[in-house]
Amino acid sequence: MTSNKWCGNLIGLCFLAAVLPSTTYGEATPAGKQCFESRKDMSQVQQKAIHPGEPNVKCSPTTGAVLWWGDPFDGTIPMGDMPVEADYSHEEAVVRPREPQIDRNKLLTICSMACHNGQYVPYPKDKLPRPLRMHNDIVPDAMKLKHGKGAIWCLDCHHAAERTKLIDHFGNPISFNEPQKLCGKCHGQVYRRWREGIHGKRIGMWKVGAKKRWWVCTECHNPHDVEHGEQQSGFAQLDPEPAPMLPKGMKNADHERLHEHTHYSGH
Amino acid sequence: MEKNSRENNTADIASRRDFLRKAGTYTAASLTGTAMLLSPKPSKATANVSWAEHFQKHYRLMTEEEKAEAIERLEKRYSEEFGKKVSVDGSTAIDGVLFGYALNIQKCIGCRRCVKACVAENNQSRGKEQEIEWIRVLRLEKGNFSEEDRDKGGYPDDYGIQVGGNAYKPAGVVLEGQHYYEPDKVPEKDAFYLPMQCMQCEKPPCVKVCPVRTTYRDPDGIVVIDYNWCIGCRMCIGACPYWARRFNWGEPDLPKEDMNPVTHYLGNRPRMKGVVEKCTFCIQRTRKGRWTACVEVCPVGARKMGNLLDPDSDVRKVLATKKVFRLRADLNTYPKFFYFMD
Ligand code: SF4
Ligand code: SF4
Repeated sequence: MTSNKWCGNLIGLCFLAAVLPSTTYGEATPAGKQCFESRKDMSQVQQKAIHPGEPNVKCSPTTGAVLWWGDPFDGTIPMGDMPVEADYSHEEAVVRPREPQIDRNKLLTICSMACHNGQYVPYPKDKLPRPLRMHNDIVPDAMKLKHGKGAIWCLDCHHAAERTKLIDHFGNPISFNEPQKLCGKCHGQVYRRWREGIHGKRIGMWKVGAKKRWWVCTECHNPHDVEHGEQQSGFAQLDPEPAPMLPKGMKNADHERLHEHTHYSGH
Repeated sequence: MEKNSRENNTADIASRRDFLRKAGTYTAASLTGTAMLLSPKPSKATANVSWAEHFQKHYRLMTEEEKAEAIERLEKRYSEEFGKKVSVDGSTAIDGVLFGYALNIQKCIGCRRCVKACVAENNQSRGKEQEIEWIRVLRLEKGNFSEEDRDKGGYPDDYGIQVGGNAYKPAGVVLEGQHYYEPDKVPEKDAFYLPMQCMQCEKPPCVKVCPVRTTYRDPDGIVVIDYNWCIGCRMCIGACPYWARRFNWGEPDLPKEDMNPVTHYLGNRPRMKGVVEKCTFCIQRTRKGRWTACVEVCPVGARKMGNLLDPDSDVRKVLATKKVFRLRADLNTYPKFFYFMD
């Protein structure tokens, strides 16, 4: 109804209205078996055969997590130019692009076209926090952003004018495929260890100089909630894989869960 | 097929051998009947071990030819048993490489994905009867302190002889580590996790005790087992301080469709009842340059692995920049598996 009125002004919004009822942000496309790599719902892979009888990934039947990669470089693109010299400068470095993942329901594209085009939603005057009417599905309590303890807000990371981009210190856009360039602005020490290959995750060939797939920051961490409540671990909680089988004859594992060991009590 | 006279002799012989091998595979398979072909489970390995395999020499004492023959025999048997082309690699250690591992216990969230990835890669027995896992993740409590325990901590009475600390009531970190933890979600607030697997010791006690020398250290530092020479005495299991070795008490249960057909003779090739097995740093992968399955799967990147002899390798960078320790260093086993914190 309301959206019909908007349609006259903004063609893209009709498309948005058509998309919204069928999908919510972050929901997996329900075709074939979907597994996730590091972050549930934010690093999805579609199971398929790379060769007859050979799957691209093997997934956990209990948690849906990827357990095994048939081809570690499937679906990757070259890492691209990085501003600083590091391991990736001397060997073949690839990444799985984040943009298709973030934009898999085309919301990113449509949003920048329909709303954040500089007219419908004017560019904000400043970067200060203000109550948000939209985006509460992505950042539930935006006024209390769980990143930076109140010292940063949306436009410190997101480009004010180009909504499909992140932003660097000089105001230049950064692709969602290269969040490390953004995160490295503040987290210098971590960025350095990441470049050396000892922070974060890589798969492929272990030899120095051989090809590797690098995981970028947002493949493991949620930039909108790095605190994760009481955990403070930097990682969202996940379902663990099942416990090992109990030794034959053992009924349960209560013996290892009791705080009061028998040899302590009795006196 | 599209063969013509221009093709040389070798190719011809090779293709004939190939044809014979394939024919042999299908004949043997068809002899065992349709039931076996349709069944998701392979036939029992012990029944299929040929006379030649049973009486083969210790792998290390074999000539190159004998090794090739042993490998061919195995490839044939496994391909028949699992109904697909199975390769058995015999790659030797790469020159100038000594494998080492480093695990960040500060990062580990205890998800056990490494455990299951290892099973997917290394063809361990699974199922209700016998489940074998080479990695074990221990859950350790961060603490159990309470004000109440301070004064009522179990001292006999006001005048009693104090035998040192809270002798009669546990306080602080009191669980010795849980193997079977099953919370809804990990990581938990009050716990941290410590995965354990074979440490590929430089002075491996398991190798010292093996009466038939079937377990030995290869030049790249990987401690391997020739399963065919193992007599199942389980001395190594008793000697290993890290609880890294597992025994096939029963016939391994490895469904055909889950079997990983890319194997190494000293690594993930299917084992038989009565032999010991353990982590080999995924020898079938690492000797071909690929990272181990557990390094690749860890969703938090806690696992690092590479060449200890290369100062630019991940593991050497960890040793150079982080605080590292090894388990039971007092035993002089010199593990090549390091733990570290950021
Ligand atoms: S960890 Fe155990 S099995 Fe591995 S080399 Fe050391 S003693 Fe042997
Ligand atoms: S996969 Fe990584 S985080 Fe999970 S239990 Fe293993 S080492 Fe820990």
